[in-house]
Amino acid sequence: MVKAVPTWLRWLAWIFVILAALLLLAPLVVVVGVSVSESQFIAFPPNGFSLKWYGNALGSREYVEAFWLSLRLAALVTLSATLIGGAAAIALSRRRGGQALETFFLSPLVIPSIIFAIGMLMLWSSLFGVTSFLALWIAHTVVALPYVLRTTLAVLAESDPFLEEAARTMGASWPRRLWHVVLPQCRPGLAAGAFFAFNISFDEAVLSLFLRNPGLNTLPVQIYGQLEFSPDPTVAAVSTMMIVLTVTLIVLLDRLLGLNRVAST
Amino acid sequence: MTDRREAWLFLVPGLALLVLGFVLPILRMLVLSVLGPDGLTLQQFARFFQDGYYPSILWRTVRMSLVITAITAAIGFPLAYITSRVGPRLRLWLIVMVILPLMTSVVVRTFGWMVLLGRSGPLATTLRDMGLVGRSFSLMHTEAAIVLGMVQVLLPFMVLSMLGVLSRLDPRLEEAARTMGCSFLQTIRRVVLPLAMPGVVAGSLLVFTLSASSFITPSLLGGARIEVLAGSIYKSVTQTLDWNFAAAQSVILFLGLALVLIPYLRLGARHG
Repeated sequence: MVKAVPTWLRWLAWIFVILAALLLLAPLVVVVGVSVSESQFIAFPPNGFSLKWYGNALGSREYVEAFWLSLRLAALVTLSATLIGGAAAIALSRRRGGQALETFFLSPLVIPSIIFAIGMLMLWSSLFGVTSFLALWIAHTVVALPYVLRTTLAVLAESDPFLEEAARTMGASWPRRLWHVVLPQCRPGLAAGAFFAFNISFDEAVLSLFLRNPGLNTLPVQIYGQLEFSPDPTVAAVSTMMIVLTVTLIVLLDRLLGLNRVAST
Repeated sequence: MTDRREAWLFLVPGLALLVLGFVLPILRMLVLSVLGPDGLTLQQFARFFQDGYYPSILWRTVRMSLVITAITAAIGFPLAYITSRVGPRLRLWLIVMVILPLMTSVVVRTFGWMVLLGRSGPLATTLRDMGLVGRSFSLMHTEAAIVLGMVQVLLPFMVLSMLGVLSRLDPRLEEAARTMGCSFLQTIRRVVLPLAMPGVVAGSLLVFTLSASSFITPSLLGGARIEVLAGSIYKSVTQTLDWNFAAAQSVILFLGLALVLIPYLRLGARHG
């Protein structure tokens, strides 16, 4: 058997995987643990079991308002990034030598978001004064756009271009070709991109921190402020709810599209 | 032809968004960095290099980013390799293990590290019970805390960059190496690692860029005393309200990263 891996190495690999899992997941487990502790101090392992911090979080105006702001923002960003990014991906997939344009579209992935954030703040302030919801919406759409573009382009690269050619020879106009042929081909890519766009916007903290103002605090910004000031079990409860949302998104992503496929693009 | 017009119609919203909402802000930042009360000036840059304080922050940022990148690559490669070679069920679980933290907000993950590393956290308590450290021992507000937190935050990026390349490697290459007498580890070193190099390099660049430009994890885990460049930028914007200086610091970060990225991008372009 040439594929055989020495037994000691197999064991070592298992130990390594367990340690890596510990490293990757421990911070999340700990947050969940703190959130159900009875003690009002941050402690892990938790003392006792209580859900009172969840009641606290749901009763807090700051957190609830921040949650609705984040949710509204993420929903709109999902819509705008998927529409704009999907359209751009369809156009790019038909151009020859669209490499330079594609690089340009993916550039928000390469440029650190702190640099973009500070530029956005400065430009917005010089043009319109105080930052607003619209500023956040634009900024989040810019950073979510490359993800939609990449997932959609990956799907289109694997799809058969002659399907559309066939529809054309049979006399379908381009709106009909788009609706009946191209869009169905893109669907898995668009869906994966939409998931990522939602997730990125909902979790994003850098742009939201730079563009925040007293009436414009997203959930991650609210959490950050609390952590800077003094972490308490209530913020752990809010964080746990964010983790639960992420888990839900991942399960949906896997059910609808298959994680294996999404991870390798 | 309608095809052409359609293609442009589909590109225009994206192009407009990126030019107005991305390029223009960055240009504005560049302009502010060299703008003084009376015209163009490099005064802000001179201020950065004037005394030892800001250069020391820059040096710390570079040093820590290099350490973080090296550790992330060292853990990421075996993890990505194992993920690419196990059966589909286990593979799915390993991917979940990588993606779950990736898709969780950095703020939440950093909070987890604050609990883990804090004075009453499990690490400090265990060490104290073993009598290894004193009562007030805490890992918080150390460079080690930042490195540990950042490695966890950035490891998924490294693993996914490598996984893409490793999954596409033909396993028959490894089998061939084995039949010709290579041991398992030799095969990894002489066949897998060289072929996976594009993924390793891409992942390392991504991790280096991200770690040099993050401030949330470093400022929460490192505290006020251990400042990094991105944290100093954030402070200049929100606390001292010195935007021109903040812009200049961003330009320095930007140029520093370009210095690292551009040679690689050109190399990549040449190899197609």
